Amino acid sequence: MGKKELKVALFLAWRSLRRGSRSSAILTIVIIGMCFTNMIFLPSLFAGIGQTIKTQIVDYEVGNVLVSPQSGDQYVTDLDATLDLINGMPGVERATPHYSKGATLKYRQRILGSSIRAIRPIDEKSVSPLYTKMIAGSYLGEGDTGEIIIGKTIAGDSSIREEDEFYPSLGGVRVGDSITVEYGNGYTKDYRVKGIFSTGWTSTDNAAFITWSDMELVEGESLDKAEYITVKTKPGYTEKSVKDVLMSYGVSPKVQTTDDLLSKAIGSVLQSFDIINMVSLIVSIIITTVVLFIVITIKTINSRKQIGILRAIGVHKEVIMHNYGFQVIILAVFGITLGIVIASLLALYLSIYPIVTPEWSAYMHLTPIDLVWNSLILFAAAVFAGYVPAYQVSREEIQSAMRV
Amino acid sequence: MIRTTNLRKIYRMGNVEVKALDGVDLTIGKGEFVGIMGPSGSGKSTLLHLLGLLDLQTTGDIWLDSIDVDRLTDYEKTMFRLYKLGYVFQDYALVPELTVAENVCLPAMLRSDRKEEEYRADTVKILKQIGLSDRSSHLPRELSGGEQQRVAIARAIVNKPDILFADEPCANLDTENSSVVLDLFDEINHELKQTIIMVSHEDWHSKYFHRIIRLRDGKIVEDSG
Ligand SMILES: Nc1ncnc2c1ncn2[C@@H]1O[C@H](COP(=O)(O)OP(=O)(O)O)[C@@H](O)[C@H]1O
Ligand SMILES: [Mg+2]
Repeated sequence: MGKKELKVALFLAWRSLRRGSRSSAILTIVIIGMCFTNMIFLPSLFAGIGQTIKTQIVDYEVGNVLVSPQSGDQYVTDLDATLDLINGMPGVERATPHYSKGATLKYRQRILGSSIRAIRPIDEKSVSPLYTKMIAGSYLGEGDTGEIIIGKTIAGDSSIREEDEFYPSLGGVRVGDSITVEYGNGYTKDYRVKGIFSTGWTSTDNAAFITWSDMELVEGESLDKAEYITVKTKPGYTEKSVKDVLMSYGVSPKVQTTDDLLSKAIGSVLQSFDIINMVSLIVSIIITTVVLFIVITIKTINSRKQIGILRAIGVHKEVIMHNYGFQVIILAVFGITLGIVIASLLALYLSIYPIVTPEWSAYMHLTPIDLVWNSLILFAAAVFAGYVPAYQVSREEIQSAMRV
Repeated sequence: MIRTTNLRKIYRMGNVEVKALDGVDLTIGKGEFVGIMGPSGSGKSTLLHLLGLLDLQTTGDIWLDSIDVDRLTDYEKTMFRLYKLGYVFQDYALVPELTVAENVCLPAMLRSDRKEEEYRADTVKILKQIGLSDRSSHLPRELSGGEQQRVAIARAIVNKPDILFADEPCANLDTENSSVVLDLFDEINHELKQTIIMVSHEDWHSKYFHRIIRLRDGKIVEDSG
């Protein structure tokens, strides 16, 4: 099989597509494009959902790396020394402690159980972007006392009747209002609402924050302990590398990255995503394979006699085979290109108009590697589907082909 | 240049044996214009296919240019057909998506000893010879049957084959177009000393042939040369 033969095969293939049935070629390209889109769409949508969930968990729950008390203990003790140690580590942007306490919130006629979280506002701002999510009032200041910031869900909306609420609320708290908080230990205090935030992340929007010093008043002691410490990593450092450093310095026996936590928390969800992804991948491959197989089989069956005669006049069977093979390759290249365009447009559309739910907003998480990888898979399937009938027809006895 | 000894071709279909060729010995020399005639089913196509390396005999030998064709591999046979033989069939079987000129060029494109300018020039010359110069960029479906068959002949002779095989090339043509084709054969036989072996069962064709081999039931019953 020389260069000349391949050139003639390509020549025949190109002519056949250009001058043959336009509609069947276009239809085939569209089907391949659709299959490609189908292959890409769900998996990248799920990846997008996973990505938004991860971002929210990092931003509002655990940071990049979570330092928890060793098992059996309730608190990370020796807090200030521990924080100093962590903040001095390479790759650590900032570490910030969290301490929360169950409480009952009262406002006018409403009563609501919630957990009050204590934070150190300046450090917290370096770790969590909550301070950018204020929809009314402002974020806590470092020395604030008697001030509280609450999530939009807790604040509620006075125009919605209590029985119509999805999540219970205080029924329309506004900045400057005073709410009474009764802690589990009996300590009760009125706080002025300094700000209301909305993150879109349900558990955070159901939370209320006070300063660390206010929490010390609640507990009646200076708090040199935390329930957990969230750590923000510096750009350029992986969560894993920072975790390893913290572990090696013996910060705490329990240090986890977001991925560690996610694989526990939503591992089973991701597994079912994987199954759906696999099904959509296999279905796409099967449809593409079958369609191309049929298209090429029909082409070859309709040209059996012509193929016999071409072989009779000295066209080598490899040329015949590659002729059909190249046709499939050309159709696949156009189809996959179309698919890439469609998938990219969908991704663009969803990035402008994401599907938003309370827990996550879905956009398509589409990387060039995904596109390349799926293109290769579909291309391989297409080539296989085309070459099988092409091989078969090219091996037929010249005699019987011509006698059709 | 062609010699066969005791050539047999037996088709087996289940228990039934069809002796398509039943011991054919013949010799054909360079420049001959041979007509293979005989009733339908007498083995004419079978003989032509064996001589043209399109099928395998059951027993017997074929020499082309003193080469025992049994010794050729499948690839060598393909190359032998490409470089030395030309074919015209009852069906013109032009590639429908190629223009007239492209169809004619096709076998030449595959040959490593042919330069593009050279075979393009040959194509122009041949199309002129068959009177289809003005149709060179037409597609086969835009041509009549007679015109398509002339293109098929042009395709068969563009590589100047040693032997031209034709299996009932006029079967789908009316008398007028048949005459055009036969005149063309006559012309290339005269001018190029082209060896032509043509199958026909039309008696009026016989006046074109220099030699007639008549078959019946797979045997040569008459060989006039
Ligand atoms: N592929 C085949 N299988 C079975 N029988 C065949 C085949 N090809 C030809 N024959 C038989 O061989 C005989 C000769 O056929 P053929 O050479 O085509 O005759 P002709 O061309 O003279 O009409 C016929 O009886 C035909 O039926
Ligand atoms: Mg016949």
